[in-house]
Amino acid sequence: MVSMTQTEPVVAGASAVVELRNLHKSFGALEVLKGISFTAREGQVVSLIGSSGSGKSTLLRCINMLEIPDQGDVLIDGELIALRGTGPQRQIGDEHQIRRIRSELGMVFQSFNLWAHMTVLENVMEAPLIVQKRQRTEVEADARAMLDKVGIGAKADAYPAQLSGGQQQRAAIARALCINPRVMLFDEPTSALDPELEVEVLRVIKLLADEGRTMVLVTHDMDFARSVSDRVIFLHQGLIEEEGSPDEVFGATRSARLKQFLNAASHA
Amino acid sequence: MLDDIAFWVGYLTNGKHLTWYASFQFTIFAALMGGALAVVFGLTGATLKNSRFLPFRLVGSFYSAIVRGVPDVLFFLFFPLAFEQAVEWIVATQVCSPEAIAAQTAPWPPCREANWFLGTFEYLILASVSLGLVYGAFATNVIHGAMRSVPAGQLEAARAYGMSARQVLWHIHIRQMWVYALPGLSNVWMLIIKATSLLSLLQIADIVLWADRLGAPNFLPAVGLVHDDWRWRYYLVLFVFYILVTWLSERAFGAIMRRAGRGILSEAHG
Repeated sequence: MVSMTQTEPVVAGASAVVELRNLHKSFGALEVLKGISFTAREGQVVSLIGSSGSGKSTLLRCINMLEIPDQGDVLIDGELIALRGTGPQRQIGDEHQIRRIRSELGMVFQSFNLWAHMTVLENVMEAPLIVQKRQRTEVEADARAMLDKVGIGAKADAYPAQLSGGQQQRAAIARALCINPRVMLFDEPTSALDPELEVEVLRVIKLLADEGRTMVLVTHDMDFARSVSDRVIFLHQGLIEEEGSPDEVFGATRSARLKQFLNAASHA
Repeated sequence: MLDDIAFWVGYLTNGKHLTWYASFQFTIFAALMGGALAVVFGLTGATLKNSRFLPFRLVGSFYSAIVRGVPDVLFFLFFPLAFEQAVEWIVATQVCSPEAIAAQTAPWPPCREANWFLGTFEYLILASVSLGLVYGAFATNVIHGAMRSVPAGQLEAARAYGMSARQVLWHIHIRQMWVYALPGLSNVWMLIIKATSLLSLLQIADIVLWADRLGAPNFLPAVGLVHDDWRWRYYLVLFVFYILVTWLSERAFGAIMRRAGRGILSEAHG
């Protein structure tokens, strides 16, 4: 792993894992993304911040095509995700390609979205078994290791509804880890949690960041974004208003809107 | 006293009574088969109603809207007859001479070769299909509603992990749908059980028909025991049978519900 310094967050030579080019997305008359480009390189943690409605969740969901951008391209490991049609009619161009690419993107949702009818262990094993078609014994060993890693190995046979929110979100992280993802996508992973449960989830995410995993993170938590990120992107009304290293964005804020936003966030 | 008991045991195990007891199998078969078909038609109807293609959606909506409104007795009479005659007509076009078909006026079918004789078993199958079609329309609505009750986020998560549409449908969507559908489906099942008392309409010698025959007054010693109208006693036995089936069904549905609801229903939490 290449070591990173705060002042030189973009590692020269590290390959682009996620690359977004000029993304536009509207919901009806509401234009949510107005042309956004950014790149997350191997080993980088990129945080998306901004007020609600700034388009940060939509942007994240465009990476694995849960939302299909009206315009613009998404590349994963340099491979262009095929789309056909234009504008709001745009749709997946190649079902096999998108399923293969999605099976390498570990998404963690705000509301966990664990499959309620499966135990925690079954949740973690499901995608490796039926999407990646890996061996059951190997997957189970992996899954248990991941559950241990996030600290809920003892809950493997419980159902999601029997766990606290923090445990559920850690189970969801284990589920994402078990597919050996190229990149982890976090969509406000702690927003649905009580403050005392947030800590345990943040600790796990920090652990993954320190391992050098590539991650794109949408978050409300400015302190966390500052401590975990290599790069911070501030979205405002569907455009990138400011971006840079955490020290630049939080320590030497240029944009008036970002100053205002950070001010409001610190009083929340 | 002992003679009395011996007499009644003998009477209740005579040929006619044994046939009556045996006829319960028709009722049970029709209920189980009809119920299974209703679920199959219900799943098909709900899938059609959820389809992205407008013609499929129309067929699904038309089926659940129209067939639910047709009285089951009427459909019971209509469907097997229509099906039989349609088959006979198709066979007739193949095996009867053109002259016979052209000359066809009163007799049906046009020639003897095209005649399709239906025995009890064929009628049972047709009855089950009729039950399945009528109650499948109800099941369509129940399942359609249950499909929409499955949390959308879980389906989205399944897609996000690379599952195909079919995998999402079978591994997540339908698997969780049962929890929301079972209360409604248990109602449909009860209606099917009730409708099995209509089997005699299709000339099946079922439990109702035999209860009628056995209970009918008899004044001829040569025919058997002389007694007046005993039908209410036999009907009472049918009451008990249907109540027993209801009780068993509720227990079975309770067990299925606990199994399907594991992790989803709050009762299931330890």
